[in-house]
Formats: sequence, C-alpha cells, structure tokens
Amino acid sequence: MEYHALHDAPFIFPNDAHPAWSIMIVIYPYITGMVAGAFVVSTMYHVFHREGLRPVARLAVVTSLCLGACATLPLLLHLHQPLRALNVVATPSPSSAMAGFGFIYSFYMLVLLIDVWLLFRPAIVERAHSAPGPWKNVYRVLALGVLEITPRAAEIDRKLIHALSVIGIPAACILHGYVGFLFGAIKANPWWSTAMMPVIFLTSAVVSGIAVLTLLYLFLCRSSRMEPEEECMQALSRLLWMFLVLAVAFEFADLLHVAYEREEEWHVIRELLVTKLRFSYLTLQVLIGSLLPLLILPIPAFTRVASAGFRHACTGVAAVLVLVQVAAMRWNVVVGGQLFSKSFRGFVDYPVTWLGREGLLAAAVVLAMPMLLLWGAMKLLPVWPPNPESDSGVKA
Amino acid sequence: MSLFELPILPMSATSVAGGCASGGCATGGCASGGCSTARPDQASETSRREFLKTATTLTLGAMSLTLLPGAMAGDESSSATTPPGGSHPQAKKPMYGFLIDTTRCTGAGKCLTACRVENGVPEGQARTWVERYVHFKDGRVEVDLVPEIGYAASGEPQPEAEDVLRAYFVPKLCNQCVDAPCNQVCPVHASIKSPEGIELVDTDRCIGCGYCVQACPYGIRYMNHETNVADKCNWCYHRVMRNEQPACVEACPTGARVFGRIDDPDSEISKRLATLPTSVLKQHLGTIPLTRYVGLTDEVT
Amino acid sequence: MTSFNDTRHLWALGAFLAAVGLVGMVVRRELVPDDFGRTGPYRASALDDIAARPSLFQADATCHACHESVEHERAGTLHEAVRCAHCHGHAVEHVATARRAAEDPSIMLPPAAEWDGDFFTKVDLYVTKDRATCLSCHAAVVGMPADFKKIDVALHLEEQGASEPLAKETCFECHGGHDTAP
Repeated sequence: MEYHALHDAPFIFPNDAHPAWSIMIVIYPYITGMVAGAFVVSTMYHVFHREGLRPVARLAVVTSLCLGACATLPLLLHLHQPLRALNVVATPSPSSAMAGFGFIYSFYMLVLLIDVWLLFRPAIVERAHSAPGPWKNVYRVLALGVLEITPRAAEIDRKLIHALSVIGIPAACILHGYVGFLFGAIKANPWWSTAMMPVIFLTSAVVSGIAVLTLLYLFLCRSSRMEPEEECMQALSRLLWMFLVLAVAFEFADLLHVAYEREEEWHVIRELLVTKLRFSYLTLQVLIGSLLPLLILPIPAFTRVASAGFRHACTGVAAVLVLVQVAAMRWNVVVGGQLFSKSFRGFVDYPVTWLGREGLLAAAVVLAMPMLLLWGAMKLLPVWPPNPESDSGVKA
Repeated sequence: MSLFELPILPMSATSVAGGCASGGCATGGCASGGCSTARPDQASETSRREFLKTATTLTLGAMSLTLLPGAMAGDESSSATTPPGGSHPQAKKPMYGFLIDTTRCTGAGKCLTACRVENGVPEGQARTWVERYVHFKDGRVEVDLVPEIGYAASGEPQPEAEDVLRAYFVPKLCNQCVDAPCNQVCPVHASIKSPEGIELVDTDRCIGCGYCVQACPYGIRYMNHETNVADKCNWCYHRVMRNEQPACVEACPTGARVFGRIDDPDSEISKRLATLPTSVLKQHLGTIPLTRYVGLTDEVT
Repeated sequence: MTSFNDTRHLWALGAFLAAVGLVGMVVRRELVPDDFGRTGPYRASALDDIAARPSLFQADATCHACHESVEHERAGTLHEAVRCAHCHGHAVEHVATARRAAEDPSIMLPPAAEWDGDFFTKVDLYVTKDRATCLSCHAAVVGMPADFKKIDVALHLEEQGASEPLAKETCFECHGGHDTAP
C-alpha cells in the first residue's frame, strides 16, 4: 500500500487526544431538531391549513413541548460544572453563539407553553369542573384559577393561537438554525465551519420532527385500534419526502463544495469519510438513511398502489430510516468533527462508554424522557384521540 | 511604536484594517499610543456598558473589529470614560509578546517540565509542547512530540540521521490571539482578555462547556480533567505580573523562547523582532497571534 | 364588546409570567458577582486570583541568593544559561523551607536526595553527577541546530577513552561540574 502520512506517521496535538464533546452533544441537536420539526408540522395545519394533518396537529404541539422540556437535559449532563449552568443567563457574553441558547430557548418555550395552554384551555376548564377529587384542583391550578370561557374569550384565544403559531415558526427555525450555527461558526474546525450548517441542521430537524410524528401517529392509531387516516398519512409522507429531498440536497451540496474545492483540509476530511466515518456516514447516513427512504417514500406520497396498509408501512419504515439518518448526521457532525486533530496530521479515537454521566445508557434515558412526558401529557390533556370539533375551530 | 506595528499585525490584518494601518493610525492615533490599544480588550478600560456596545458591534464583522478599537483608542489623558475604582490601575498597560526561535530549540524538553511544575498541568494534557518536524530525503515529512524527559532518556527509536534532509523543533504555546476565537465563544465571560492582552480563564465562572476547546485552532485549550474547567497557557500571568519570566522561558537554556515587552524598543524581544523575519501560526484564520515564530515552514500547522 | 371577563385568563397568565420573570431576575442578581464588569466584561477579582498564584519554577537568582559561590563558578561559562533546576530538581520544597529557615534558625534544611533518574519532579532536590543529566541535553538528536554541541555518545566516549563509559560519573572524568569546560 502507498505511504499515507495520516495513517503511517500520524501526529495529533496533545490536547486533541480526548474529544471535548461527548455523545450528549449528539443527542442535544437531535432532540432540539425534533422540537423544531414537530412544531413546523403543527403550523402546517394551524397556519397553512393543510387539512390532512388535522389528526396530528395537537399531537405535534404537545410533542414539541415535551421534547423541548427535555432539550436542556443532555446539556446539563455534558457540562463539567452543571451547577454553574445558570451563568449562561446571569453573565451571557454577547459575542458567544452559545450564550444565545438561554434566550432563544426560553422565548421558544414561552411561545410553545402559551400556545399549548390556550389550545387546551377549554379542556382544562371543563375538567376543572368535572374531574374527580384532587384532580379538580390540579386542573384549577392549570387553568390559573379562571374557570369560565366566554364566547368572546374563545374567539380571542383562537386569534392568539394563530398569532403564536405564526411567531413560533421563526422561533423554531431560529432555535435550530442557531444550533447549526454553533458548529458552523467554528473556524478552527473545517468539518464544521460552513455557512450551510444552520440550513442543513434546520432541514434535517424538520425531517426528524415529521418522522417522529408519523411514527407516533401510527403507534397511537394501532394502540387505540383506529385506522390511520389516508389523507393524514399521505400528507405526512409528502412533507417527509419534500424536506428529506431538501436536507439531502443541502448536505450533498455542502460536501460536494468541500470535495471539489480541495482545500488544505479536504485531505483529512476525505480520509475521515472513507475510514473512521465509513459506516456512520456512507452506509448509515447516505445509503440507508437517505437513498432508501427517498426511494420508498414516493410510493405512499404520490401513488395509490397496493393496499393502504402497505403504504402506511412504507411511510413507517421510511420514517424509521429517516430518524436513523438524522441521528447519524448529528453523530457524523459532532463526533466526526472531533475525530481528527487540529494538526490535520492524524486521527483521534472516540471512546464510547455505556455507563457514566455521558454514557450510552444516560443517552437512552434522555431520549426516552420526552416520550414519558408525552405519555403524562396525554393522561392530563385530551391530546389523543384527535377531536374533530375542537380542532376545526382553531384554524379560524 | 511603528517598530512593532509591522511584526505584530500580519499582512491580512493590516489590509483588513485598511485606513487604520495606512492612514489614520499611522498619522495620529497610533503614534501617540493608539496602536497598542488596537485590541478588543481596550473596551475593558472603559466600562461594561461600553463593552456590550463594542462586542455587539464586533460580531457584525471583522471590519469593525479592527476599525472600532482604533476609533475608540483615546489618549491616556482623555480618560473621561474611565470609571473610578477599578481593581487595576488605569495607567497604560504594558504590551507583551512571545517569540519562538525554532532555529535555537534543541528539543531538550526542559520547558515542558517547568510548565507542568509551575502550573500543575495534569498528565496527558499540556499547556505547551514541542513538535519535531523531520523532512526525510525521500520527501516524507514526519512529526512527533518531544518527550518530557527528552529523547535520550525516553529510549524512543530515532530516525537515522543519514535519511534526514532537515529537521527542527517547533515549541507550541498559547498564541494570545488579539482576536481570540476562544474568548469570542465563551458563553459566560469566563474567558478573560486581561488588560495586558493575555487570555485567562476564570476558573470560578467557567461552566465547563468545552466550546472554547473546540474554538481554539491551535489545540491549546483543554478541559482540565482534574479541575473540570477549561485550562490553557496564560504565559504564566502570575509570574509576569511580578515581573518574572514565564516558567518555560526561564527554563529554556538556548534562548529559543523569548518573552518580553514589545512596547519597549530596548527589550530583548523587540530587538529580535526588529532583526529577524517572523511569522505566525494559521495566519489565514485571522486570529492575529501575539506569539511569533522564527523559521516556521508551511508544514507546521 | 370585550369585557374584563373575556380577558381574565390572559391577565392571570400575564401575572403568572410576570411572577416567573421576577423570580428569574432576583435569581440572576444573585448569580452575578459583585465585581463583575468593574474593569471589563469579566469578574474583576479573577485577575487578582490568577496573579496571586505562587511562582514555583525557581529562577537561578533564587538559588544564587544563598549559594553565592556557585554563581561565581558559573559566571561566564558556556553553561551559564543552564538553570540550576535542570540538574538539581525544581526544589519547590527546598526553597520554601529555606525561606522559613531564614526566619527561624531552628528549622533544618534536609539534605539533597539521590536522584531517581526522573526529570519529572518526583524528587524535589538532588545532587547529580550523572551522565544522564548531561545527555538529556547533549545526546545527539535529529533536529538539533547545527551549531549546538551535540555528541554521538558511544563514539565520543570511545574517542576520549572513557574508563567506564556506562558509569554515572563518566562525563566528569574530563568535564567539570558548575565550571564545566567544553
């Protein structure tokens, strides 16, 4: 074999041997991506009136809220000084991309919370009257003590919900575009440093949000013995396909640009892709996660071939693959960017552990938390099954 | 003053600064001490309010970075913006620089031990290190790290001298960038550009996010795995503040590391900067390092 | 038109959010250090904290303050730039004890230890007449400047007819200690 300095005589800077960012920093954009993506689906119904998405519209907002509530968990687990986390809002540095998180995240969560509260206020008020025993008090607190809804109030709320959904779109985009910027603005790292990063993160975020909702919808239909609505499944498939095309196009455009320009760092990136990231990038992200669903999705999205069951299954499978794609993409960005030394002369090993604050088990727990929260929310509020009457009123 | 203006600002910075370097600065402000203040930390001399304004403007682009501090660089006499009662005197701060002469380094590694003793750096991490670049006659270039106990004691296999075209040592330490990416990204102001231009870590405020570690293009920052906060070379700020040399400079027997005031034309470093051609690491990134090198090759990253 | 009853829930929401915001502001106030921003966008006393750390690596002047004869022996030799610490350890303990001993005559300075062959500070202060000390700088290594006095150890010892090439003190058969002649 030909002599290759990167492999045969590697040199890494002493401090590059231990990557500073762990699997938690992979999980963090994964979750915030779903937050943004799920919200975008709900606005497709609430703002853009995609009627087909009615069954998942409420589910989408609540899912977004539950995911959002867990978005800071991986960060706290990652921080080496978690008790000082609030310094980020106490003495934020205006020049730091990271310092924006506290404010962007708070604003988005505020919008989302008010949105959900107004959306479910009729149900909360109704249950504050009808719920048994101590639950009555829970709903009274949730209603903030206001236990009646006048027709005029309902009308005001409808308008507010619409306004909040409109505000929420840029807020969600900023929340996740910002996460992309966090990486894209690091000039020290050629694998990260690209103006495309926010766009790439945003489109893949929307993709993951749609995929999660699709799977949730299929799961909930199955567990409550309902047929998934044809129109809803098709709308989801189309959305998923469209945003996947965008995400893949942006990712490819970015890689092609680096590959074609062949600047100094391309040599280390090329080696990275064909060695350390061969499986997670080429196999998982490109082949299994992108190409396969791009081939599968047109069937449920644009045809009526075979049975509804088969087409739903296609959408489901594609959604799973897409979630794998986005997870692999986060991994390849976050971990891949730390697999080479800033000497550009050698590669670094990335240790993955099961146990510990930043281990795989902790990561699994973090990923399960939003689903637990969602389960709790569904017990508390009428998220499911979708109620045609109350929902149709919302989009006035 | 113009003596060090040229060595300090690399070509790209001077061209970005445009009017400042060739026009306004050279005529008035710079000559009267304005140039030494062409650093973002000058804002620290004013007030936090001013800084917030400055920093917001700084984020607008590199243009403002080099133009704005120049515009803000007032004479020491016009200290109307200086708040009373700062914990540091408001007198003109000295400007320090670091010069690495790769042609003098013998790779003995004395600086490495000195740094570790001085700063309690955990094993496996480093504030400073020395790289060896070996150009072989067959065209290969290989790089390795000088062992802390020196090559002789380490027993590591050495390249055959007759295969080697040329070889040299390159000590690395913090570049104390004028526009430091590590400082820029710190979310909680735990990265401090001291009034003397030295980049410090406030270990009491650092949240340990590791963003600065990612942002440093030179791999100088590390997450200290004993204290769990970011750590870095600070040119032995504590020694410098009591007019001592940084430990690695003190330890170097061959004068490969030179530290001193670049605003004093009689200092050793100023004299060497005046006579030797120097360059900086990763100049294309526009970080404007204060650590300058003699004898860098383009193999050095 | 819209009466208070229609917007009562929004006022309640507003009051709730205002309360949360107020708590947040109080907490934030507590989290900002008093001297934050006094001299710049950072905790002002951090500079003093860092500046207060002790200097541990001893400059030769520290050693010469007591060991005056050594200063004279070394003055003007090629090895003047070699630091005491390079051959005798970093002596952090030794200097601290010596400073205390200057105040209090009852404090005795422990003698220098035998070197354990490690340059990495395990021994605080040692006497060494050891070829390894010399070779840590002078053994020829690829990369040394051309004008540096580097030696091919085996060849040099053979040429000079060292009686016991591998003995610790072999270098000192010909070369001096503090007044090392070339």
